[in-house]
Amino acid sequence: MSHGRILVVEDNPKNLKLVRDVLRYSGYEVIEATSGEDGVRLAYETSPDLILMDLQLPGIDGVEALRRIRTSDRTRGVPVVAVTAFAMDHDRERAFDSGFNGYVEKPISVRRLPQQVRDFLRLGGVR
Amino acid sequence: MVERAPARGAVSTVEHERLQRNFAALNDQFAAANEVLSAVGRSAGDPDQVLTTIVESARRLCRSQAAHLYLLENGFYRLIKAVGLSEESIRFITGHPMPMNRETLIGRVGLDHTTQQIADVLADPDYGRQDLQRVAGFRTTMGAPMLVDDQVVGALSVWRNEVSPFDEREKNIVTAFAGQAAMAINGVKLVQQLEARGAELARKVGELEALREVGEAVNSSLEVGEVLSTIAKHAVRLSATDGGSIMEYSETERCFLVRSTYQTEPQVIERLRTTRIHLDETLVGRAAKLGRPLAVTDLETVELDPHLRVLFEAGWRSVVAVPMLREGQIVGSLVVRRKQPGEFSGETLALLEMIADQSALALLNAQLYRELKQRSAELEVASRHKSEFLASMSHELRTPLNAVLGFSEVLLEQMFGEVNERQEEYLRDIHGSGRHLLELLNEILDLSKVEAGRMELEYSTFELRALLDNTVAMLRERAAAHGIELHVEVGPDIDQVFADELRLKQVVLNLMTNAVKFTGDGGSVVVRAVRAGSEIEITVTDTGIGVPVEDRERIFESFQQGGRGPSQEEGTGLGLTLSRRIVELLGGRMWLASEVGAGSTFGFSLRSREAADQPRSGRPPVGDVVIIEDDRPSLDLMTAYLSGAALRVTAVGDGQSGLDAVRRVRPAAVLLDIRLPGIDGWAVLQALKAEPETSSIPVIVVSIVDERARGAALGAAAYLVKPVSRDALLDTLVAAGALSAPEAEGELS
Repeated sequence: MSHGRILVVEDNPKNLKLVRDVLRYSGYEVIEATSGEDGVRLAYETSPDLILMDLQLPGIDGVEALRRIRTSDRTRGVPVVAVTAFAMDHDRERAFDSGFNGYVEKPISVRRLPQQVRDFLRLGGVR
Repeated sequence: MVERAPARGAVSTVEHERLQRNFAALNDQFAAANEVLSAVGRSAGDPDQVLTTIVESARRLCRSQAAHLYLLENGFYRLIKAVGLSEESIRFITGHPMPMNRETLIGRVGLDHTTQQIADVLADPDYGRQDLQRVAGFRTTMGAPMLVDDQVVGALSVWRNEVSPFDEREKNIVTAFAGQAAMAINGVKLVQQLEARGAELARKVGELEALREVGEAVNSSLEVGEVLSTIAKHAVRLSATDGGSIMEYSETERCFLVRSTYQTEPQVIERLRTTRIHLDETLVGRAAKLGRPLAVTDLETVELDPHLRVLFEAGWRSVVAVPMLREGQIVGSLVVRRKQPGEFSGETLALLEMIADQSALALLNAQLYRELKQRSAELEVASRHKSEFLASMSHELRTPLNAVLGFSEVLLEQMFGEVNERQEEYLRDIHGSGRHLLELLNEILDLSKVEAGRMELEYSTFELRALLDNTVAMLRERAAAHGIELHVEVGPDIDQVFADELRLKQVVLNLMTNAVKFTGDGGSVVVRAVRAGSEIEITVTDTGIGVPVEDRERIFESFQQGGRGPSQEEGTGLGLTLSRRIVELLGGRMWLASEVGAGSTFGFSLRSREAADQPRSGRPPVGDVVIIEDDRPSLDLMTAYLSGAALRVTAVGDGQSGLDAVRRVRPAAVLLDIRLPGIDGWAVLQALKAEPETSSIPVIVVSIVDERARGAALGAAAYLVKPVSRDALLDTLVAAGALSAPEAEGELS
């Protein structure tokens, strides 16, 4: 009985594990991807309800991965949230300009993350 | 007259004739003297005519075959006037000038300063110019010195070709005439001296004027090409040469490089630029090493170095190279040249040295400017690298911090099982240290943003009291743990403020955190906001340990912390530095008042923006205004000014978006900046005025540059030069019909 399927695209294994464990603890089904290409492929194959995407990734970066996700009819409607350790003001703007549906700044708050994810999922439901 | 006087006896015929002759001679003499005098008067401006009259009269009145006039020059008499002399004699005299000695009559009169004669030159044992006598044939000669202030300037002499001594009367005539001639010559000399002095003065004035121009060029322009070409031009003009060049010395190549030329053929310039003008192998280099000008009067007669060869082959014949030195260092060389061989006078060289001195300064200025430009370009790169480094460091540090904070949080949340008390304490330590590290990281980033001028403020209107309460709430738990009381006091006349809410909160939080940190258990911390004239002052007062006088400035510096408080809390050492910078960015200042042992008050001021202080409820926007402005602070300010007016603001940051916005919104007025990315303000103005749909919309130019005339010509309704006051902006909008007067007035109350 999952609250929803979340695709987490994150290249740092420890951070991936942290997000995965917190979300699973909160009752979500988590699919892991460690590169942009993987993320795009798994988005297509698993039709998640929400994608949490790191911006800086090996190979294609988060922005490019998002572009590809949005070009496919099958994945176009999935809300994608940027998760990044960039802290400059323009990083946030860049994320929104690139078409992300939301922005979560690292370090993530373990306490708040489940709530944030719930909010983003509602966003997806509205769409 | 005399002759008619009644005689006592009969006058002899002989005596009568003698008297008659004397009378005629006197008459003649009188007439001649008159003639000379009137000639002198008539031709005062033409001394040559005076001298001619004198020589002719002297010959006639002294009944001699020849009369001649000499001027003394460099110890020799030079013949300048002669009558009754054969061409051959004149040539002989000219070819054999007479020195001032006793061999000649005029030599003797010059030495003795008296009028003398030689009754028979052939009978005078001391006479030494028999050679002349043989050519000219004279026997008796008389002469008088021309004296000015007892100085011999020349001599007048008369000859008879037979032995027939001159009488006293004739001697007087020659003496008088020599005197007249001397005066005439002296007049000429005086005039010549005056003229020469005038010319000299004019020349000096010209030189000074030119030097001033050179100096001005050196000082006014950093465009070194312009300066050097001005210098080259003046150097050539003042030295009366035909062309010139200025070279810069390159220490690394030990070579002179042509930087500027004047009146030089293009192909010569090209050759000069490609020729190695080496320090050790050229005239230019030699002059530089000697530290003084070196001239070549004729290139045909010297061995040519590569530089001189280029010049010689292009038809140049004489050259002078003047070194340009500064503090003993070779800076370059100034070269002027002529198409003809010839000397360069000492004066010319002195003048060129002065010009070279100025040029050295110009070149040095230019070099410094170049270095400065390069240095600042390097700094810019370094600063960019620093920013990039900070951004990437921030990323790299946040990634592991994310795991540290996250996993410690997971354990603290006891998501996967309980932890005991000690484990929880350690987990809190891990988590706390991680938060501290994160805080440090954020402050370093903020500080680097402030220092790079890249911290962007987001102004808005908000309630100050809410912000202070909010901040206090964040610290309440921590303060309660130490029994510290927190109070907020806000003046009754303070409601809303216009500032960057987040940054203001950051400052207040920093000051309050410090206050709590350095206040002992059971103390109190009060944050107050009071109005002080046009400003709002916010102070945070604690009952802590205080800050000693010697630390009061230091604690605002990076990584300097005050004495440890009782809580032994750690801080970043950047908080106060950053807070002060943010306050300054917001247009205020920060201060500290403290008494050791009694407590401290940290305060800062905030510009109270009247326009935005008052709530603007109740007045719906009646018109639109489009602001086309790419500079964020300017935009913020104008938006703030207009926030009270009954206007809806549409702001865009570039020309094209501006045009689109105006076409779409059809505003009551447009506020237009000129310097915009993409198409500039002028183009926007032109385009708006060219389109029938937008041509009637008043455009108010708001620019940093004052080009009113251009604005008016292109159809701008008004022109405001930044910085623009609120009143000016609103008045202009009223004048443009975009706003009604009472609305503007209303906002001022």
